Amino acid sequence: MFGLIKTWKALEAKGIMGINRRNADYVLKYNKRHLYPIVDDKIITKQRAIEAGIDVPEMYGVIETEKGIDKLREIIGDRPDFVVKPAQGAGGDGILVIADRFEDKYRTVSGKIISHEEIEHQISSILTGLYSLGGHRDRALIEYRVTPDQIFKSISYEGVPDIRIIVLMGYPVMAMLRLPTRQSGGKANLHQGAIGVGVDMATGVTLRGTWLNNKISKHPDTTNAVDGVQLPNWDGFMKLAAGCYELCGLGYIGVDMVLDQDKGPLILELNARPGLNIQIANDCGLTHRAHAVEARIAELKKKGIVETPEERMRFSQGLFGHIAPVKG
Amino acid sequence: MRSLTLHLKVLVTLLVSLGILITAYQIFILGIPMTEDETDDLWNIDAKVEFLANPREPVKLQMFVPPLAQDYVSLNESFISNNYGVSINRTDGNRKVTWSARRASGKQTLYYRLVLTKRYSGEQTKAKGPIFRDSIPVEGAEKIAAEALLAPIRQHSADVETFISETIKRVNNSNDDNVKLLLSGDTSTANKATAIELLLSIAHVPMQRVHTIRLASEIQQSPELWLRSFNGEKWLYFNPESGEQGLPADRLVWWTGDESLVTLEGGKQAQVSFSLNNSEMNAIRLAKLTDENTDADFLEYTLYGLPLQTQQTFMIMVMIPIGVLVILILRNLGGLQTLGTFTPVLIALAFRETQLGFGIILFTVITALGLSLRSYLEHLKLQMLPRLSVVLTFVVVLIAVISLFSHKLGLERGLSVALFPMVILTMTIERLSITWEERGGGHAFKVAIGTLFAATLAHLLMSVPELNYFIFTFPAVLMILVGFMLAMGRYRGYRLTELFRFKAFLKD
Repeated sequence: MFGLIKTWKALEAKGIMGINRRNADYVLKYNKRHLYPIVDDKIITKQRAIEAGIDVPEMYGVIETEKGIDKLREIIGDRPDFVVKPAQGAGGDGILVIADRFEDKYRTVSGKIISHEEIEHQISSILTGLYSLGGHRDRALIEYRVTPDQIFKSISYEGVPDIRIIVLMGYPVMAMLRLPTRQSGGKANLHQGAIGVGVDMATGVTLRGTWLNNKISKHPDTTNAVDGVQLPNWDGFMKLAAGCYELCGLGYIGVDMVLDQDKGPLILELNARPGLNIQIANDCGLTHRAHAVEARIAELKKKGIVETPEERMRFSQGLFGHIAPVKG
Repeated sequence: MRSLTLHLKVLVTLLVSLGILITAYQIFILGIPMTEDETDDLWNIDAKVEFLANPREPVKLQMFVPPLAQDYVSLNESFISNNYGVSINRTDGNRKVTWSARRASGKQTLYYRLVLTKRYSGEQTKAKGPIFRDSIPVEGAEKIAAEALLAPIRQHSADVETFISETIKRVNNSNDDNVKLLLSGDTSTANKATAIELLLSIAHVPMQRVHTIRLASEIQQSPELWLRSFNGEKWLYFNPESGEQGLPADRLVWWTGDESLVTLEGGKQAQVSFSLNNSEMNAIRLAKLTDENTDADFLEYTLYGLPLQTQQTFMIMVMIPIGVLVILILRNLGGLQTLGTFTPVLIALAFRETQLGFGIILFTVITALGLSLRSYLEHLKLQMLPRLSVVLTFVVVLIAVISLFSHKLGLERGLSVALFPMVILTMTIERLSITWEERGGGHAFKVAIGTLFAATLAHLLMSVPELNYFIFTFPAVLMILVGFMLAMGRYRGYRLTELFRFKAFLKD
């Protein structure tokens, strides 16, 4: 019992944010319910992003009806690779990634050969709502297939690593790199077994990471050290994340981005209830940082200043960046 | 944000204090019992009147019955008599029943039955009585004896109360020659009372005879004589044998005054015998009965005012917030993961019908089988509605099979499943399989155990009879619950499981 109270006090002192605090003070306070569809539906997110001039994987087409499936060939054209996604899917279900064409058939990233009819059936399943959360009718999205930058080859196992930045009212608060593992089956969700690696906000150099709620410093599959890696184009990521506030209007979001080897940083999706394990990855609590941002906003409001995404990024980098590397 | 917090605080305080106030009012002012097991004595008094009727003569029998003006309230009163007319009239604070018949012959038996209990509520009516009386005229030796007795009584007393008890003590001193003279050899209580009355009348102190019945079962008794006098504020009761003051709690005043219990015209050998027995009755039922028999309808606007059928439904319904509270605490304070928010409460309700142990087994078995069917259906790539329909039908068939088998094996428990648990089972299977797909089998298992645990706890709490009674009788308690829930709505502390989840932070 006393041990638990001690743990409580220690976590409180470190500013670790719990679910109750996240929900009460941030999600409920800053995220208006009527804006949720913007982040829940990937097609709307994408359209908003394009309007705001934010980089996203190019959308080849949307299929909304069974009749529309006939247009699939037209949408694909002669592109060798593409991705089929449910607009409101969750947990990466229902996503079909085509890596190449093989004669008249298609080859998925895992090497399986499938026919055109099978893709059509997959799209039909998406439309009936098989992959959407409540079982509602859904739309299928056909988009550009991201090729991860070579930089991740050494520390990643399989799948596409992505970068998650928590953004509070347009100010990036904390960042991590998510690396799929053998256990996560190529998915980048931490609770499915992916690794989260903290990132220095100012420099884009990786820190140590978390795996299944523990702290780690090596990738369990490749045994390469995950810290000390310089992520390229880091300011690009930060600017992209900071701009997402204008894009969706939600005040507390997790922005998921990828680094494409040709197109650079791209936004994949937004999350209105970002997880809390990013704190373990960065070995730092969210509460103090969030309070600092809230203080800054209150101060600016008094002066009547509205900062641009660029300025917000600089503020966050100055305050939260340059973490001394952990020794040992 | 701050004004919102203040608003919430005010609201919570308001709700909690209102809830406490209403409940306290019900308990302390209305005197509604706190637990169902609280019992009260219920007295059943039979007075049997027997006499011989004179042939060819009309019969008229009058008997005193309790006036019921004090601490007792009658729940039921009946006069059992063949061919007799019955009428009741009140005189001087007494009640008298008159039985009358044109013709009767031979031995006659009449019954008076009274069911009564202690009064629950209602204010006492203000007592009224005489404080002065004229002296009874006495002559000769008796006058001298009385005055000789009165002189030391006056000396030893300070007020009416001490005067009377002193008088009674003197009269009961049988060695005193003056007393012997006054009683003239008859030491019955009635005669002593007459002597006491005489003495008191000389001092102008009024005195009244009170005839009481003792509330004790299984003893033969006849009305016991007590004396009382009004001191200007209240009646003071005295035992004429011992001078002891104050009427014991188990005495019921049957009538007051000098008349005898029964007066009979057209008959002889009237005899009254009393028999009493008591039964215990659960307090709230008694309160309900009292309520019907008095004009204080303090239960009228509680849930007891509803028809019985509806009451039973509400008995279950008022417990749902308790179940929800359990889930709230387990989830937001404990961090237990459950399937949806209210599924555990629904399962807890289903346990009511299946019993806990059997319910858990039934749920586990059917959910496991349902999940395997669901995972098979997954391969067929069905839409949601047809898929749900298939699972529901499967659940029905499963329940039918289980019922059949348990019936053949002589386990009647298996038949206890009703319509309600079935739909809940189907929903549980569906949601569990969605969780399985999204978060993996391990997580689904964890969630299932969490749900079952929460449901069990909620069920156990919801079926505590004392709690059930308390909330049903004092529904204002729900306001206190709402206050707590509102406060929980802005709780930002850690959940218990988070203390373990973030343990990694403490390792350096």
